[in-house]
Amino acid sequence: MTSTAIVTLAAVLVIVLGVSVITRPRHSSTVDFYLAGQRVGVATNSWAICGDYLSAASFLGVAAAVYVSGLDGAWYAVGFAAGFVPVLLLVAAPLRRYGEFSLADFLGRRLRSDSVRLHSVGVVQLVILCYLIPQSVGGGITWDLLVGHGILGLSPYSTGVLLSTAVIAVVVASGGMRGTTWNQAVQFLLLFGALLWLAVTVSADGFRYGDAVENLSQEPLANPEFTDGDWELTEETNSIHPDEPATFGEPGARYGWLGQVALVVTLGLGTAGLPHVMNRYFTAPTGRAARTTTVWVLGMIGIFYGLAVMMGTAAREIIPGAVEEHPWLEELTVDGVLRVPEHALPVLGRIYGDEAGLGLIAAAALIAAMSTVAGLLLASAATWGHDVYERHINPRATQRQAVWVGRASTLVAAGIAAGLAIALRPDAFTPAMPSLVATMVTWAFAIAGSALTPVVVLAIWWRRTTAAGALAGLISGSVIAIAMFLTASFMEPGALRELFAAPTLVAAPIAFALTILVSLRTTPPKEADSDWVIMHGTAADRHAERMAALTLRERRRRKDGPNAR
Amino acid sequence: MSLPTPAPDDGEVRDTPAEVDAAFRTLRRISVTYFLVFLAVVAAFPVLSLTLNWWLDSRLLGNLSPGFLTVGVGLYAIFAIIGIAAATLSSSVEQRMLGTQDERQP
Repeated sequence: MTSTAIVTLAAVLVIVLGVSVITRPRHSSTVDFYLAGQRVGVATNSWAICGDYLSAASFLGVAAAVYVSGLDGAWYAVGFAAGFVPVLLLVAAPLRRYGEFSLADFLGRRLRSDSVRLHSVGVVQLVILCYLIPQSVGGGITWDLLVGHGILGLSPYSTGVLLSTAVIAVVVASGGMRGTTWNQAVQFLLLFGALLWLAVTVSADGFRYGDAVENLSQEPLANPEFTDGDWELTEETNSIHPDEPATFGEPGARYGWLGQVALVVTLGLGTAGLPHVMNRYFTAPTGRAARTTTVWVLGMIGIFYGLAVMMGTAAREIIPGAVEEHPWLEELTVDGVLRVPEHALPVLGRIYGDEAGLGLIAAAALIAAMSTVAGLLLASAATWGHDVYERHINPRATQRQAVWVGRASTLVAAGIAAGLAIALRPDAFTPAMPSLVATMVTWAFAIAGSALTPVVVLAIWWRRTTAAGALAGLISGSVIAIAMFLTASFMEPGALRELFAAPTLVAAPIAFALTILVSLRTTPPKEADSDWVIMHGTAADRHAERMAALTLRERRRRKDGPNAR
Repeated sequence: MSLPTPAPDDGEVRDTPAEVDAAFRTLRRISVTYFLVFLAVVAAFPVLSLTLNWWLDSRLLGNLSPGFLTVGVGLYAIFAIIGIAAATLSSSVEQRMLGTQDERQP
């Protein structure tokens, strides 16, 4: 292990554990453990949501997808960023105003149905697992590149998976939402700083975005493929104009038109159904704060993804010319093109910042994976600890018992994700997929966008939504999405396969339609009118804002002393 | 444990169902309108690529084509603008249509 690797790992550990100790929860209540007391301000919450959302898929995966597929890879970034527009327009403020602990709890109470709550828990757990595995994979890849050694007889990859997952599981189990919020906020700022450093350094060295795209588009796009026991560059097929070569700067290297739209719809609708992101909205003090938080998030992730796309382009342009000067690149590349596209950013960091640059980018990648893992584990804890244990298994549970069940479920979910990440070694996937990490995350978005988003949106905006309708939507959306993306693995490349691989374009409309049809044939909860006043009224917001203003005034009065007016 | 439903009882006025319903309808119109704008913006890319050669062949800012510029930078800016506009309008509608009785209180 190099000294850089030691310093990097120590820095990550100090940051994560330091923030956790400083922000450890003072109380042992479920509102504190799962919702950080519902007092997370706009700036902190927006940073934390970014930390939660910007996973290894965003940091390593988007740059990797652009590196491999050029403009087509950027659709991942567009889809990820687009997701917060529906969240802002349709979900954030009403969801927060209604309160509760999780998406499953929201649906269960709004539709007055335990069955809806339990089915939602099932879908939420599927989404969490699909999202957790690629994050753990990201941790393993980064460790492999940074340290290159395993411990206790394990491979470097397995060691990275186990250590990164274990550290964050312990942090979440002990710190709850309060510790996780501050960890995610600090981690986002570090992640953003690392990407900004890379962008500034690369640009200062003479990288010109437009010229690079122009230059890369002069020749057909080719990527390494492992065939007949050897690596060789293979030209990508143009999905839009099959008789022309695919190029970096034009669409077609990865998707046809249908595939592009299907991917963006899948990622765009999926965000509103991601449990770890939506649960963060319950921590905002008011609905208006939740809405404002989303505006901040839209601005910050827009800048982040813009930079990630630019760095994917920079890696493609710069690495071939750097092989001669940096002999260590030879074993990572084939004719100047990286074998594992997720290495794009770490390699760029090492080219420009030597070992320290590699350490910084590797630390950012680890942090990206860990902050998302934290959110996912907490969402898992909320569903098991609150939605299942407290609501169904032991309704008389004390606060202390419920929190301990949440902690235990955190550790179990982490163990399952790490085990599956080790079983799915990335080398087995890389030749077949442009970016393993981003592709696996697409599955989570597909299930969330096909099953949860339609039901959540209808529950918020359509008074007639019923429990039976919601069940029809949840079951049809998840079954169709899973069946389609699993079928896609066995299909020949083409427009139909692209549609099946990103199935929300088909599954979500069916889930919407079935929810509406079944709801029209059944009776809505009689409490719908009072729910409307809570969800779409602002009395609670005004009350909270008035209380906050009074508290501030009182604090100021005490600070200014007894003579102050 | 269930979170308590907020019930301001310290002299503040609750929203009436009629007020909320009116505000809800206005907010729904705003959300649907902006959502359609959002869909149109995202769907415009493949349509422009199919219909205008200029979209991918010409060069604009920083020697990037309009298409690449849109995917690399432009769409994120448009999303942020949609977000700011919709949030500002929604909050202002809520402020105008709800809680008006609070203001009349001493």
